Amino acid sequence: MSRHDRIKRGGLLAALLVFAVLARSQALAAPADALMPIEKYTTPKARTLANTHRLRLLEFSEQIYNCMPWVAVYPGRLGFPKYKDSADDERYLSTWIYVDQRDDPVFAALPQERRVSAMFSRYGVDMLRRMAGLSDVVDDSDVAGLSVVLSWLKPGTSKPGQQAVNETVALFIDKTTAADFLAKRVGGEEFMSRARFNVFDGERLLGRLPIEVWEDSFNSTYKLSNYTPPKGARCQ
Amino acid sequence: MRAWLSLASLLGGIVLLTAACATSEEWSEWRGHTTHFASGTHGFFSLRNNKDGSNPRVSRTDVDAARSENWWGKAITVSPEQIFQN
Repeated sequence: MSRHDRIKRGGLLAALLVFAVLARSQALAAPADALMPIEKYTTPKARTLANTHRLRLLEFSEQIYNCMPWVAVYPGRLGFPKYKDSADDERYLSTWIYVDQRDDPVFAALPQERRVSAMFSRYGVDMLRRMAGLSDVVDDSDVAGLSVVLSWLKPGTSKPGQQAVNETVALFIDKTTAADFLAKRVGGEEFMSRARFNVFDGERLLGRLPIEVWEDSFNSTYKLSNYTPPKGARCQ
Repeated sequence: MRAWLSLASLLGGIVLLTAACATSEEWSEWRGHTTHFASGTHGFFSLRNNKDGSNPRVSRTDVDAARSENWWGKAITVSPEQIFQN
């Protein structure tokens, strides 16, 4: 084989390798993809928050990505949005996660408000606790509170030939109430009465369903069998 | 000689990149057992056993690969504009 052929073959293989790496990485939602792009924020306050706390949010995203593979942060939904009808520029540390679960007859048999209660108790409270743990972010005077949005597959909608539907609950709560609730100084009923929240069935607004909140330690105790976190990940 | 060493390294890299994942059949099976509904009951998120009795190991990359074809953007979901403003 001539030197020219060897160089050509080497180049071709290198190109194949690069293609293989790119093809794989495009299929993945890397932790950085979860962060709201800074250029999408509409006010200087929000952009400053996003810039100042970018590394902490990235660490937070990596923690979820590596240690809680049963949930996923939607791309671009971890950041500092404001409530949609807010007249002022109150910014919330917010995470929107998708809970990856399949249809189950027991879950499906629950009335919708019980499903929302169960999902918020399990995943919403846990996410609030995790976000509250980012004390340097939460203590920023430009952060008004915490927000968690949860989506999951609505039971019975993932049938062949029809488009599946997600149920969603979106909640916004001020910092003081969040801290008091997590420290058990405020009960679940009071917490929900102070929160701004809405439930959606697909794209349809259902409003404030009667949600109950109870103790659920799933996320702090659950271990996915056979799952190996990426090397270097610190999962508690 | 040097060219062949480079060739071997490149091929090795490609093999590592593609072989570190479970097969699509394994993942289809795994996806069928991911229910861990919010009832307070744990342990629905289990993997099937291999025929030799061992359990397949699951990496974060495997989870991504299984999800990429299944759920991003496919279900009808409320839009962000109905919830918040950037």
